[in-house]
Amino acid sequence: MFLLSFFRVIKFSFQDIGRNIWLSVITITILILALFSVNMLLTVNMISNSAIEAVKEKIDVILYLKEDAEEDKAAALKIKISNLSQVKEVSYISKAEALKSFKLKHRDNPEILEALRELGKNPLTPSLVIKPQNADDYQALMDSLSGIDDDIIESRNFDDHKSMLEKINSITDKISEVGVFISFIFVLITLLLVYNSIRVAIYTHRREIKIMRLVGASNWFIRAPFLFSSIIYTLAGILSIIIIYYFFLSLLQPYLETFFIGYDINLLTYFKDNFVFIFGLQFIISLIVNVVASLFAVGKYSKV
Amino acid sequence: MIKLINISKIYPPNIAALRKINLHIKPGEFVSIVGQSGTGKTTLVKTLIGEEKVSGGKIIIGGWDITNIGRREVPFLRRQIGVVFQDFKLLDKKTLFENVAFALQVCGQTAKKIRNIVPHVLKIVGLEGKMKRYPYEISGGEQQRVVIARALVHRPKILLADEPTGNLDSINAEEIIELLQKINKFGTTIVLVTHNREAVNRLRKRVITLDKGTVSGDQAVGKYIL
Repeated sequence: MFLLSFFRVIKFSFQDIGRNIWLSVITITILILALFSVNMLLTVNMISNSAIEAVKEKIDVILYLKEDAEEDKAAALKIKISNLSQVKEVSYISKAEALKSFKLKHRDNPEILEALRELGKNPLTPSLVIKPQNADDYQALMDSLSGIDDDIIESRNFDDHKSMLEKINSITDKISEVGVFISFIFVLITLLLVYNSIRVAIYTHRREIKIMRLVGASNWFIRAPFLFSSIIYTLAGILSIIIIYYFFLSLLQPYLETFFIGYDINLLTYFKDNFVFIFGLQFIISLIVNVVASLFAVGKYSKV
Repeated sequence: MIKLINISKIYPPNIAALRKINLHIKPGEFVSIVGQSGTGKTTLVKTLIGEEKVSGGKIIIGGWDITNIGRREVPFLRRQIGVVFQDFKLLDKKTLFENVAFALQVCGQTAKKIRNIVPHVLKIVGLEGKMKRYPYEISGGEQQRVVIARALVHRPKILLADEPTGNLDSINAEEIIELLQKINKFGTTIVLVTHNREAVNRLRKRVITLDKGTVSGDQAVGKYIL
């Protein structure tokens, strides 16, 4: 008998959705929009994180040495710095190498090259280029470098790096905060919308509900079709967003590749690799939101 | 069958709809409850089907004390009491067969049982040839017959009819009263709440008169006197 009632609940649920087809379409559409916004936030977050990581990766700490620093002393300093736990790699750039690199970098700027020629000597100093072990360890690395006392060190001014990293971290934090806030707003909107949809569905079925109560239908039987409808709305919303979002990502990916040349940002792969986590979590959260909204609406309005 | 012991119903802030009512309705009886509007007739019906809880007293139906009936138990009570109201409350998009079958579907009856019972009940109310019609295709009297059929599908021991003839002309009203008498002859206890003076007088059955929430008259073979 339970199985029979269960199938009838499913049948009544589909009947409800069909009879209020526009209301159902609107509910699913809003759910899709909410999920699209959440996925957009995720995408923006992913792009910004990748971009920030890439920028961090590019920021090397350069320790400029005195013009007349002897190479064996520079090599000793290099070993000393390499032994620091925050350091991944240290490269020594000699005066000649620095000049070569400078010329290569400015090969398209004849004015700079001409000025260098007029100077008649190599004005650049040797340096140690230090790559950190972890992009987040910059502060600790800078503190350690500040603690090294060696008379061949010309300058150790890291303020530029510090302020840039602070800015990057602040942007990352703000993106996360705004993302959480907007997601919360969308969850709230979805909650209210599903609540309202179920309320309207109950209103249009009030005569039926009254008859059900009159002839002895159990509360479960009266409420279950509406709860089941909310599960169907969630499923339809999630399936639609998967199709729509993959289509959207396939359109977006070529533009991203053009914009971030040299960086490995592949959204399609990211979403594919994390498919179960991303859409599974969205399904669970949407389901909870929808079922909670439906429970409230059914509890309040099904007492016809 | 139905025992009301000292029941009262007070609505907030302090409006007494029923005051210390004592009644005993035996199995198979046909009882008419009459009274002016606002005397508590419908409140009495609502307390009998568990829609309203009494403020005091005790209600026993078929040996079951329903005074403080829980929400989960109400559906089981309603399957034992058939209810017919003045407004027909049929589903417009369902055929007569489907309307009656609906009462069995929502209670988990099998399709086979539904196919057996529904035509039989529709035959009792005289609508066997109109099962595939929709409510808007039949008369008001016939619609009320469908409602009675729906109330009968659970084979209730009690049928409560609250103003079943209220929206009908005299001919249709008479037919409905005759139908209720026919159902009563099968052994079903009938409680008829009505304003229909002619019907009550013609029935020559027990009449309970309510006045300001109290029983002002209870005659074994009574007349409609207000």
